[in-house]
Amino acid sequence: MNMDRRIVFILVALAVIIPMLLSVNLPVSVSEPTQKFYDYVESLPAGSTIMIGFDYGPSSLAELNPMAKALLKQCFDKDIRVIGMTLVVDAPTLVSALIQEVAAEKGAVEGEDYVFLGYRPGEIQVMLGIGTDIASVYDTDYNGTAISEIPMMQNITNYDQIDLLVDFASSDTVESWIIYANVQYNQKIAAGVTGVIIAQMFPYLQTGQLVGLLSGILGAAEYENLVGAPAKGMQWINVESFVHLLIVVLVIVGNITYFIHRSREA
Amino acid sequence: MDLWSSIGIWVAAFLTLSIYSVLYRDNPFYRFAEHLFVGVSVGYGIVLSIYQGFIPFAWKPFTAAMTGESLTGFIKLIPIGIGLLFFARLSPRHTWLIRYPIAILIGFGSGIAIPNVLRANIFEQTRGTIEPFAAIYAGTLAGWGIFEAVLMVVGVVCTLIYFFFSTEHRGPVKWLSKVGIAFLMIGFGSAFGNTVMGRVALLIQRVDFLLSDWLHIIQ
Amino acid sequence: MKRQVPLVLCFVFGIAMIFTRFSPHSVSQWIYEEVISWILIIGPFALVLATVTLIQTHTTRIRRRTEHWQYSLVVFAGLIIMVLIGVPFGPQNSIFEWLYNNVQLPMDATMFSLLAFFIASAAYRAFRARTFEASLLLLTAVVVMMGNVPIGDFIWNTIMSWSPWTDKVSEARQWILDNPNLSARRGIILGVSLGVISQSIRIILGIERSYLGGGD
Repeated sequence: MNMDRRIVFILVALAVIIPMLLSVNLPVSVSEPTQKFYDYVESLPAGSTIMIGFDYGPSSLAELNPMAKALLKQCFDKDIRVIGMTLVVDAPTLVSALIQEVAAEKGAVEGEDYVFLGYRPGEIQVMLGIGTDIASVYDTDYNGTAISEIPMMQNITNYDQIDLLVDFASSDTVESWIIYANVQYNQKIAAGVTGVIIAQMFPYLQTGQLVGLLSGILGAAEYENLVGAPAKGMQWINVESFVHLLIVVLVIVGNITYFIHRSREA
Repeated sequence: MDLWSSIGIWVAAFLTLSIYSVLYRDNPFYRFAEHLFVGVSVGYGIVLSIYQGFIPFAWKPFTAAMTGESLTGFIKLIPIGIGLLFFARLSPRHTWLIRYPIAILIGFGSGIAIPNVLRANIFEQTRGTIEPFAAIYAGTLAGWGIFEAVLMVVGVVCTLIYFFFSTEHRGPVKWLSKVGIAFLMIGFGSAFGNTVMGRVALLIQRVDFLLSDWLHIIQ
Repeated sequence: MKRQVPLVLCFVFGIAMIFTRFSPHSVSQWIYEEVISWILIIGPFALVLATVTLIQTHTTRIRRRTEHWQYSLVVFAGLIIMVLIGVPFGPQNSIFEWLYNNVQLPMDATMFSLLAFFIASAAYRAFRARTFEASLLLLTAVVVMMGNVPIGDFIWNTIMSWSPWTDKVSEARQWILDNPNLSARRGIILGVSLGVISQSIRIILGIERSYLGGGD
């Protein structure tokens, strides 16, 4: 009953390290919210525009970077233009590198196939500002190039020209995008979120306020599967299996010892 | 790989292990990393806020107004002035002045929230709850789907009853609120299960970094 | 001046945003766009508050020589280095990015990953089926945890290989999230939103004034 918690810590570490060294590979099935997300992006014709809110910092990159990469690959493969932005102050360096990495792999051209606008403070006012005029919020992109000089932004003024907004989120930004961009400007929204907030997304999915949902590292693995580019998501969800199994075993053992202890006391 | 990248990986590995050292017990390495993290994060935030906040939103409109580039630019001096009142926090005698910008931000946030929250979270969520019954009426939902539609209404209503404290939870209200608690427990259980997935993913990413980027044990 | 003007400002901006939401008139839309541009300008200055509070906290720790006060110097060292490089050379300076990628990012990611260990430990020590409600929570958590990972279905499919039912663990997880979880979450959303709306009305009307802080 009173096992030193450091023994649990060692077990957790081993449950991560050993499967990682053995590189286990179990099949991953695709859930409906992920399929809906993928199908919606697939249904967009070439030349469409997706705005991606990379609303997460380094503390959530493990869960959201893999799914963001998979979506970017799908967009660049389908000639869908990507506008990246963030509402999180410690994200720009991370996001800029991520987009450039995928763009280099897919041969996407900055300014024509994608643009990263960077960070702007103020969640609600930024969302509403984009609805009136993107240039009123972002007069330049992250590199300092004037919006008016970016080829792909020539015909994009506000949400009217954005076919889908995807929010990769680690906090309450998805709700805010729904409340302000969807309600006020009828913007279609899909989300990829961290484990902590998955459960609270489902009411919005059922009403159609979200057209699709990627759930943490599982959603990333599923999306990599659909896009046909298995990467970290697939690798990590397999490692994750063993830690979950360990935690379930710990819960069962903990309960058995608890009930034995209680019956002895009775 | 160039020298700076290699040094970077060793620094990152050292700091990662310093933080994990707290799992054994609190120690100077952990405390050093913890405080360095706070300082560096705030420093990064200040720099980004200047370049991606102050310069585009305050400095550029200010210089445009000063150089006469834009006549309407003068009106932007008012919000810049109001924003500068936040610096009153530095003077105990004038701290009350920060109430002005705070009041504007809060008034704006409250005003914009009322109609939008009402539609997104009250009307739309209510519609989502009763819409399946329209499908039942139209004959497009049957069997198990009807059970799920009824279950949803029962769940939503009982959860709301649990949070309704204007009446005493006795008799039928007590039982309905107990059903609400059951739904909430399932909701929290789901959240816990997903949170575990999230936190473990963060650990896996760090171990991946240590084993592949630092030690080159795995590809 | 100290209390009445902020209350009036709050009222005016709040009413303006409600009014413009329901009026498509060009003047109303001009007001809407102008208010948003004002708020975009005022918003960033709020960072001053957070920074000043942090600096004051650590300055006090150093001055009073409280326990571990030396580490407050580390806070300042990290902050000053980032600012000294970032402010003159910009956030895309290579040294600034190096510090972000090799100092800030790994520490941020690692700090939050500690919770994986603590959750596992807590699951062993405190997750007990003491009551019906606790059992429900525990059972749901176990199903969702196993449904979230491929090994859940793998175990099910191995044990149930004699039957036609496959992948039932991930299906059970999805059903829980789509149905009872959805109901509970929707109840919470409705409750919280009604609270947000009533609180917003109280703020605009000046009934709720706690944001003004203490003093006269």
